Amino acid sequence: MGKAVNNMFNTYRSEASFDEMFDKDKKIRPHWQYLYDKLLEAGNETLKQKQAEIDWHLEDNGVTYNIYNTPKDSNNRPWSLDPIPFIVTEEDWSKVRCGLKQRAKLFNLIFKDIYGEQKLLKENIIPAEVIFGHKGYCLEVFDFGFKENYDLNFYAADLARGPNGNFWVINDRTQAPSGLGYAIENRLTMNVVSNELYPNIDTRKLFVFIQEFKNLINELCGSQMDKAVLLTPGPHNETYFEHAFLSSFLEINLVQGNDLLSKNGSLWLKSLSGLKKINTILRRLDDRYADPLELKNDSQLGTSGLIEAVRQDNLKMINPIGSAILENIGLNPFMNAIADYFLDEELILPQIATWWCGQKKELEYVFENMSSLIIKKIDRTEQIETYFCKKLDTQGIVELKEKVLQNPTQYIAQEEISFSTTPYYHNDHIEPRNAVIRAFVLKQEKEYSVMNGGLVRVSTSKDTFMVSSQRGGTSKDLWILGKKEELDRVVNYNHIPHVDICIQNIPTLQAENLYWLGRYLARSIITARFIRYTVKKLTNFYRFENPSSKEAQKVLENTLTHLTMTYPGFLEKDKEKALQLDQNPMLEINQLIKDKHKQGSLTFTISMLSNTSINVKNLLAMESWKVYDKLDKEWNAFIQKPSHTSRTTLSELDNLLIYLMSYKELVDESMFKEQGLLLFDIGFKIESSLLLISQIRSMLCLKLDKSATYDTLEAILNASESFNAYRASYKSSLLQENVIEFLLLNPQFPKSLTFLTNALLKEFKALPKSKTYLTTYEEPIFKAYTTLKLAKVSQILQLGEDGTIYKNLEGILSELTEYFIEATNELSKTYFSHYDE
Amino acid sequence: MIYNIYHETSFNYEGIVSFSHNLARLKPKSNKYQKLLDFSMKVTPHPYEIYDFYDIFHNNTSHMLIREPHEKFTVIGKSKVEILTSTIEEKIATCKTNSITYEAAIKRITLFSPSDLFAKLFLFDSELIPKSSQKIREYAMQSFHPKRDLFEATKEFMTRIYEDFEFVAGFSDVTTPIEKIFEAKQGVCQDFAQFAISALRTIGLPARYMSGYIETIPPKGKQKLFGTDASHAWFSLYIPSIGWVDFDPTNNLIPRDQHILLGYGRDYYDISPLKGVVFSSGESELEVKVDVSRED
Repeated sequence: MGKAVNNMFNTYRSEASFDEMFDKDKKIRPHWQYLYDKLLEAGNETLKQKQAEIDWHLEDNGVTYNIYNTPKDSNNRPWSLDPIPFIVTEEDWSKVRCGLKQRAKLFNLIFKDIYGEQKLLKENIIPAEVIFGHKGYCLEVFDFGFKENYDLNFYAADLARGPNGNFWVINDRTQAPSGLGYAIENRLTMNVVSNELYPNIDTRKLFVFIQEFKNLINELCGSQMDKAVLLTPGPHNETYFEHAFLSSFLEINLVQGNDLLSKNGSLWLKSLSGLKKINTILRRLDDRYADPLELKNDSQLGTSGLIEAVRQDNLKMINPIGSAILENIGLNPFMNAIADYFLDEELILPQIATWWCGQKKELEYVFENMSSLIIKKIDRTEQIETYFCKKLDTQGIVELKEKVLQNPTQYIAQEEISFSTTPYYHNDHIEPRNAVIRAFVLKQEKEYSVMNGGLVRVSTSKDTFMVSSQRGGTSKDLWILGKKEELDRVVNYNHIPHVDICIQNIPTLQAENLYWLGRYLARSIITARFIRYTVKKLTNFYRFENPSSKEAQKVLENTLTHLTMTYPGFLEKDKEKALQLDQNPMLEINQLIKDKHKQGSLTFTISMLSNTSINVKNLLAMESWKVYDKLDKEWNAFIQKPSHTSRTTLSELDNLLIYLMSYKELVDESMFKEQGLLLFDIGFKIESSLLLISQIRSMLCLKLDKSATYDTLEAILNASESFNAYRASYKSSLLQENVIEFLLLNPQFPKSLTFLTNALLKEFKALPKSKTYLTTYEEPIFKAYTTLKLAKVSQILQLGEDGTIYKNLEGILSELTEYFIEATNELSKTYFSHYDE
Repeated sequence: MIYNIYHETSFNYEGIVSFSHNLARLKPKSNKYQKLLDFSMKVTPHPYEIYDFYDIFHNNTSHMLIREPHEKFTVIGKSKVEILTSTIEEKIATCKTNSITYEAAIKRITLFSPSDLFAKLFLFDSELIPKSSQKIREYAMQSFHPKRDLFEATKEFMTRIYEDFEFVAGFSDVTTPIEKIFEAKQGVCQDFAQFAISALRTIGLPARYMSGYIETIPPKGKQKLFGTDASHAWFSLYIPSIGWVDFDPTNNLIPRDQHILLGYGRDYYDISPLKGVVFSSGESELEVKVDVSRED
């Protein structure tokens, strides 16, 4: 062993009263010996390399923890994982296991009692103030505890090792505990490096617990797993990664509140083929947000009628509504009495000594010993209040006492405990850090079962004991030493959320998002191309001293306004403003490119595209996210720059288009048609058709002089990257009738309206509500197709009486626009609304 | 005494609504002090489904799903309620004999007593009624001396609100903060009730929000116009030795035979007559018509 290797532990000095690795005499605890030896053997360089491997794996799997209230670009914080696990002996863990089972059982009994007979209150085991004064007490479900299966199904506890070497419970999570997905991901990632770092160590596996989780859901949904869903607040939630991940390995659909609706006293999943009844929800949103009708009225996340479905026994939940009352540190002082009352047992897992300030004697004690205590509000529903009294000055203490005196029943005081430290690899050294274990417990028939592992979070710096994922920080894998379980089957994990690969069963919201992804992507591409062409033309304007170019230029500018519907834009009626625009068209064009508040601007359209893109992210392949992230970053950087030349604008537009096109390709190849690509295609084609009609309408309906006509024809072909295709079909020079035939009527050219319309009709047939006859959304497109098929160029190109407008062309185009708009309305009504089913 | 009550609530939507879930609480309670003789509810458009249930306060609640396109949603509740005057008078009489001091009441509420247990539901801040500021606390405490009789103190507190606050329609709505009402010293019945409740809870007394109706008598010689009444609100205080006692600060009186109770809760939200969640982008406008008439 070289000296450099030893250095890793040289600076390891724990101030804590208990260190996981070293005992009081700085001797290595026996169960750490193997890891210690292996770490020394590996040395800093290897450890560094393993850390890099871990980072790469996590990043590559897209593991993130979103943090609220941070600037947009940095809100996906990569998850980080230490190469040194937190290890616990089977002996220690078996005590934890017993303790957690007991605690889960107790919480379940409390839960059912509070929303049932309330014996605990009537017999003064728990003071009523601790329940009624806590915002987690849900009056709407006041008697649901009498229901069968209204149980605390899933429970998580935060544990830390106290000075005496025992594990203590420091927090309870009972509504929608997070962390399980991260714990599993950590294990999968550790597996990659631990085989080389620590090849000969036996640890307990996690798959048993996952199987038990599936059993639980299976039991609740009556063995109909397609009736169970995972309800997420959506992709903007801090732990969305985990929701997607969990839905995948539990094999249940991942849905948002808008995916569901309630009728007949049940909840239904909106899917493309219609409504499908569901009966079990694994929820990842808090109680108050679950039902805007009966609970928090302004919640955008839940489903109206959810409580009614539970009331009518048509819905079971993990966990049921109302379980927030158990996330109540005011219960701690009474847990021993409750254990005695219900089970005639003592608490197995110790808690931190806690005094409820609602009792006179206790309050006196708290005030006398304030400086050594931590004061907490019992309720963290709206705001977390924690005061470390030793950090307060005299004035601070006086104010805090006043605060407590105003509402004594709402506060508790706790002893400040020094928890254990554990080795943590950081900056080429191994240093002691505080760590908290999140352990997970599930209901299995009548009993509870504890996961042999967990999520360990490490404090953010050497000197603090603030352990919170919200604040960032890093994690560790928890290893329970012991014989490996036999694998009786192969467990597959993947990061794509579980969705049915069948067009019938696609959740409506997902389908709608894919449809809009297609539309916004088409709109972004076509708008960007048109702007690029216009800017290019403008830059070259003075090269040719030809007065007709001016007229063609004007047509281009007006088309830009029509295409983006950013009126008045270049159609400004005010003479002064019009003159100004005429002299400096880039004023308007720059806004069209960069103004994110201007509806129709390129940046606005891209922001809409970004929103839909986030919502379907998990259906797409990893490469497409990466391309999109780059697009988003580079474009945002560009629009934030105050000024630039036309040349840089052009090159940025080129850049954007390359990203957009590759994104489109990647979306195309990520998915099967049946998974929803069909909806994307339909959206893309509908938008392309509408914008093509708009361009032809603004550019080709006016009779211009020969030179301006030529410029305009060239423009419409070039702006849509169709010039070469045209040249291949028509060997002649540019002629109005040929271009119109090519763009409107050509049955082979994929960008022509006839081709798009025909393709749409075929794709409509693959939708689940397709009939032998024409449906309401097919009919208008069929009419459009017929109109195009019956059209003759010579007839179309007849001038009106005044000789300036091709009236028939204008008439046909306006008719076509209406058909397309009617089709989009009918399509939405048929597939996305569900209100009359 | 028998009253006929007509209570119509409408939502006028800006756009067309084709799907909405609604909760209606329009069916008056039956209890020791009043008896519901008859009730009917008419809903337009006709609900696709209706479920009735009792909430924790035993208020009648109807969950309704509307599933046809509509621009206006109307619920009309018609009830016939008999006021049981003799039990009310008995109750008021006990207030004069059985009341205890403010100090004694606080002591009993702070400690455990099975009979006071569920009154404690009304001791804490709720969504619309947060705890009061120091200023309001001081304002209230002028009436609540420790040794003073709680019933008398509350009566005085009610009278002070009646005298210090001005009844002004249009100044406030249900969400107007209590502090603002206190500062402006004006509002309507809901505001006075919520202000009093907040103050009482802040000084440690359980108080609940009472929602209902009051008989109005037209000026002499004038015919009363149908539908020009309003719904009414007052508060109820828990006096441990007596039970719940009602006070009406808007009219400076202890409700006897002119108040008809619809239901009660911690605040307006617990007993709002009609609330809905609508799938629509536009705004909606609430329209209410109430008529209370004494049966001869």
